[in-house]
Amino acid sequence: MRDAYIVSAVRTPGCRRSKGALAQTSPEKLIVQALNGAIERAGIDKGVVDDLMLGCSFPEAEQGLNIGRVALQMAGFPDNVSGATVNRFCASGLESVAQSATRIMAGWSEVCMAGGVESMSIVPMGGNMPRPLASWAKENPDVYVSMGVTAENVANRYKITRAQQDEFAYHSQMKAAEAQKNGHFTEIIPTTADRFVEKADGTIVCETFVQTFDDGVRPTTMEGLAKLRTVFAALGSVTAGNSSQTTDGAAASVIMSGDAVKKYGVKPLAKLVCYTTAGCKADEMGVGPAYAIPKLLKLAGVKVEEVGLWELNEAFASQAIYSAQQIGIDDKKYWSYDSPDKKININGGAIALGHPLGCTGSKLLATLVANMQRLGVRYGVESMCIGGGMGAAALLELCE
Amino acid sequence: MAKRIEKVAVIGSGIMGSGIAALCAGAGIPTLLLDIVPFDLKDEEKDNPAARNRIVKAGMDAALKAKPPVFYNKKTDLNLIATGNLTDDFQKLAECDLIFEVVVENLKIKQDLFARIEKVMKKGAVIASNTSGLPLYKMAEGRSEEFKKHFMILHFFNPVRYMKMLEIVPGKDTLPEITEFIANWGEKILGKGMVWAKDTPNFIGNRIGMNLICKTFKMIENSDIIMPEVDALFGPNMGMPRTAVFALADLVGLDTIVHVADGSYENLPDDEARDVYQLPQYVRKMMEKKMLGKKTKDAGGFYKTEIDAATWAKKKLYLDPKSFAFKEFDRKAVVPAIADAAKKGKDLAEKQRILVYGDDKYAKFAWELISNLLVYSANRIPEISDNIIGIDNAMRWGFAWEVGPFEIWDNIGLETSVKKMEAGGMKIPAKIKAMLAGGNKTFYKVENGKDMYFDFASNSYKEIKYSPKMIFLKTLRAANKVVKANESASLIDLGDGVYNIEFHSKMNALNKAMLDFMEEAADYVFKNGVGMVIGNQAPGMPGAFSAGGDLAYMGGLAKEGKFSEIDTFIKGVHRGIMGIKYSNIPVVAAPYGLTLGGGCEVCLACDKIVAHTDLIMGLVEIGAGLVPGGCGMMHLWQRYMDSVPGSVNLVDYGAYVLPAFMAVAQAKTSMSASQARDMGFLRPTDRIIANKDYLIGEAKKEVLKMVDDGYAPPAKKKYPVMGQAAQGMVWAEMFNMKSGGFIPPHMEFIAKKAIYCMSGGEARQGQLVSEEYLMKLEREAFVELWRTENTQKMANHIMTTGKPLML
Repeated sequence: MRDAYIVSAVRTPGCRRSKGALAQTSPEKLIVQALNGAIERAGIDKGVVDDLMLGCSFPEAEQGLNIGRVALQMAGFPDNVSGATVNRFCASGLESVAQSATRIMAGWSEVCMAGGVESMSIVPMGGNMPRPLASWAKENPDVYVSMGVTAENVANRYKITRAQQDEFAYHSQMKAAEAQKNGHFTEIIPTTADRFVEKADGTIVCETFVQTFDDGVRPTTMEGLAKLRTVFAALGSVTAGNSSQTTDGAAASVIMSGDAVKKYGVKPLAKLVCYTTAGCKADEMGVGPAYAIPKLLKLAGVKVEEVGLWELNEAFASQAIYSAQQIGIDDKKYWSYDSPDKKININGGAIALGHPLGCTGSKLLATLVANMQRLGVRYGVESMCIGGGMGAAALLELCE
Repeated sequence: MAKRIEKVAVIGSGIMGSGIAALCAGAGIPTLLLDIVPFDLKDEEKDNPAARNRIVKAGMDAALKAKPPVFYNKKTDLNLIATGNLTDDFQKLAECDLIFEVVVENLKIKQDLFARIEKVMKKGAVIASNTSGLPLYKMAEGRSEEFKKHFMILHFFNPVRYMKMLEIVPGKDTLPEITEFIANWGEKILGKGMVWAKDTPNFIGNRIGMNLICKTFKMIENSDIIMPEVDALFGPNMGMPRTAVFALADLVGLDTIVHVADGSYENLPDDEARDVYQLPQYVRKMMEKKMLGKKTKDAGGFYKTEIDAATWAKKKLYLDPKSFAFKEFDRKAVVPAIADAAKKGKDLAEKQRILVYGDDKYAKFAWELISNLLVYSANRIPEISDNIIGIDNAMRWGFAWEVGPFEIWDNIGLETSVKKMEAGGMKIPAKIKAMLAGGNKTFYKVENGKDMYFDFASNSYKEIKYSPKMIFLKTLRAANKVVKANESASLIDLGDGVYNIEFHSKMNALNKAMLDFMEEAADYVFKNGVGMVIGNQAPGMPGAFSAGGDLAYMGGLAKEGKFSEIDTFIKGVHRGIMGIKYSNIPVVAAPYGLTLGGGCEVCLACDKIVAHTDLIMGLVEIGAGLVPGGCGMMHLWQRYMDSVPGSVNLVDYGAYVLPAFMAVAQAKTSMSASQARDMGFLRPTDRIIANKDYLIGEAKKEVLKMVDDGYAPPAKKKYPVMGQAAQGMVWAEMFNMKSGGFIPPHMEFIAKKAIYCMSGGEARQGQLVSEEYLMKLEREAFVELWRTENTQKMANHIMTTGKPLML
């Protein structure tokens, strides 16, 4: 099989659902800007792209009608470029990367794009009309269980305490704030956003402005986090402070074969070495990475110690901590913001930066590739848990 | 042009000011609320509007958080309130037709404010002060004739929304047509009980109320009767709220009481009971130590609650005036035997007689206090009120007494009590002697269907003049207008072919006798009249139109395992409810206050609802371990579906099912009629009435209008349901709630039954189903729940304790 090279990977800022900067901007407008940004950084012509795989967890309403194709047309790609929408819930944006890369590796395409989009403000989590099948919901309601309840289950079953979760969350916020301060989010493209404003005379106008940063990052303290109430269980440990934020955002990447890299004279950033998924129990879906990551590393023949950077999606602190424990990288030095040895979510994770569901896989790819480039790290792993009880993981190798 | 109040201003945003503003906005009137610019603005804040409006904003914020709620419906009412300050926005007063002054009780400040208002006010605008003590003539000093013609006192009671009383005090120059106009406006638009008072210190309510309170303060000083005993004597047994005297003082705040009492002493040199207003030493000491009651929790007041740090047990303490120390008491054990005996009296009059004519020290205490109150009240006519009605209304509406002093006097018997007073050496007012000499033995009576009162000035009875919209069932009852009755309900002739079904069971809970009666009544009215009102006028705040269904009856059947009889009973309930809905005469419900469970279900079946604005409505059966059993779920769902225009192809049934289901599953209740409309219980065309006394009159008017318009009962039709798709949604969410420990197992079981009934059982989404099918589902669910031990436990618990048991 051939190699698949990531030649550009960008993302819009991740902004808070409903209250954040992107809340009034249609998901189509977000992904169009991400696609254009990826093409611009790759420095290629839009017409050479063969196909786009676009991840989305709730591909309905504004995100429906095969947004994977519609977005290309809106972004001014010529008619020959095809596109599809991909759904693997929280891993949709990584699944799309894997599918595009696989197509290159198989020799069926030379240049593909991948991406993810989710406006959680506009298409709510669960969709506009969730309809669990009554007969199934009566017998097997756990299939439809709320993600928060699964996080409580993980905390209870594997003894992840409230204090552990809050501490992990605190470090996520601190790392994100630090990364913002130091300008490490080089993968972000300034994004034009809409805002519907009522003028003094009652006229409604749609104003635009440019958003350049993730707006969910906030200074916090352990004491502040400890005061928050639990959300999903009366006597639980999962709070809004130690869970991922619900967020709007889009991300996109350009993936090429070695021949195409040469042909277009592009500098590749990283290689997608391997991708895999694994299933687990639905009511503790957060443990997914604990199954997917060992499977990935075994397939690739790479040892845990060889991996220099990890993007473990922080759906919830409880499942992120448990997954790290199972892989053997839970030592605090790997994730605390003031540690020289930190290698997990070094720019902060979804607790601070948000988890725009179907976008997240592509969003974390952009962050991981930027960090591997900046720090010269050879191997990086991206992984996340998936609603319904799954994990996905991908291994990247730096191109020098 | 007819005079109108199109815009109101309220100056002063404290508890009273913001309360008045909320009341006016709730009545649909654009309202401007102003307060001063803070004195302590920093230089950089001087041009900042937010800083300049800080005080009025704080007032509004407090009003928005107040409990019980000040606003009827924040969503709608807030749109009508504009805020501002007395410097930048003063000119806006020129747009207002009525300006309420609710600023600090300081004569100079008020006079200065009125001088400023006079310069900007629109010609003909009315200015009303909410002062509770300052003389009107002094406040108006220096103002023009024109100003004085439109100036009066309108004295509200706290909390403004809930206390019915509004004292209206005209000055000697105030135009009678203006006061008449405002009195009608206050009664109809604000829903208040207007009490005509005079420019005398503390007007009527506080004059009489303060006399009783201060007299009690004095009497207890050297008595061996303790405060909680006094409150137990003078609570509901006497027709007073549970707070009676001392708990009331704690609630109001001792500082307010002392302020009013001192004012009385100073301004009432000729009052025969002036000494009463000189407060005893222990009260002065409480003031010094800032023991003001509820607002000074740590210091306490007449009462104090302490929590034992070790056991978390609450300790109730009262103040012993002799030792000035708090002492512990047991709320139940402290009730004097005579109060227990009174409680068993068949009606209020008998309870009051037992209390005042008893032999023990408590009865003597009660007698001394009440006889004093009666004589003091009689002596105040015509000083503070031209007639007895003003005083009785003031005490009922301003202090929430069930009956006023002269009604108490009627209850305990005028002749008997006067003899006892004379025997005790009390000075009987000459007007009372003259009244008795004329052979008149009661202050009130009904003659030829009219309410009459005894007028001291003419020493004869006069008719009580009400607004023609007011109908009192009690009066009609006394005038033999009851055409049919059993122990729980009566049918009363309202005239013009309209009849009223009046409930009169305990809390007006629906029982079998009432349901049977409704069928008979509808039959009678069909043959003899044109339409029907379902309304009653039970006392209390907020009172109960009907607080639910008769659990005891069904609980009894369940205990004996007679489930088929429950099934038969529910069939009867359904027949009664659907009988109302499809009868060939219009039926209008007139709910107020507690309208829960079965009471709510009766309303949902009527052609129209004419509701009092203070409406606590909801389907709360889950608290008793049940689902609604009187077609409530079906009718609530029909309300939601009826709100969708026929041309809409409804796709998202879930958006409609969830709020309807949550109302039942969480036993949600409205805090106002406006909220009941938001919850779907009231249709947009159902009416909301501000004045409770208008309710039955307005309902009758609606009946006659429907008759005049050519009434046809609703056409029977099938309604779409959401079907199993709704159950899928709810079952999935119930799993989350159960996992989180948010719902106990039996309540989850009931909630699932509720969604099964509401969504049409096995139906598919959007399927049209018959009412009979939904009624069958409801009946089966209802009976099945009664079969469970947990439902029986929950029902029994709420019956015996009044609180839900979560199983």
